[in-house]
Amino acid sequence: MVRAFALLSVLTVLVVLPTLQIVFASESTEPGQYVQRKVEIWNLFFKMMTIAFTVGAVVSGTLIWLVWRFRESNPNAKPTKYEEKGEW
Amino acid sequence: MSGHSNWPEWVYIGVVIALLAYVGAEAWNVERIVEHAPAEAEVIKVTGQQWFWTFEREDGTKEVGELHVKKGMPYKFEVTAKDVNHAFNIHDYVVLQDAVVGRINTVWFVPDKAGEYIIQCREYCGLLHYNMRATLYVEE
Repeated sequence: MVRAFALLSVLTVLVVLPTLQIVFASESTEPGQYVQRKVEIWNLFFKMMTIAFTVGAVVSGTLIWLVWRFRESNPNAKPTKYEEKGEW
Repeated sequence: MSGHSNWPEWVYIGVVIALLAYVGAEAWNVERIVEHAPAEAEVIKVTGQQWFWTFEREDGTKEVGELHVKKGMPYKFEVTAKDVNHAFNIHDYVVLQDAVVGRINTVWFVPDKAGEYIIQCREYCGLLHYNMRATLYVEE
């Protein structure tokens, strides 16, 4: 448990810090240059939609593969050790 | 389960954390940028009431049902309402702010194209809500 927590913390730090750096690096603060809120908001929307659809595709793809791969009628299907012993 | 490899789970957790961190940071940053009004922005008091909009500038001049602004200049709207809740919306510039009785909510924008744009109430406010419009004139 402690090891898992430590690993999780390290992962978080390794991932969160570079992410923040990437996000804030693109900021420009030149005087007289105004931010166009419609551009910022629509860009954010498109980025979030891209992430949402990609995650959706990966998750549903994984589930579909899982159901297909571990179906009973799959020629590669092997009974678990519990099923072999008839314990389940 | 001894001898069971769980590295896919850790990769999965890592990817999820990375995505959540990115999404959260990006959204927070955009919100911060969008909400930070420039100091030189001209303040316009916007008041919604059944069923029209009133705009008052810092020098006291008022416009009802129409608003004239200059292209490329920043404007900060101080939005409020007199009777029931309304919502101030300039669709083409993605400006949307609740107009709440007893509160002043702010939103700012810079018009970048000359022309006429519709200002519309976006909170159902009674019988003539659908017609609670004003016109934004962006001048060169």
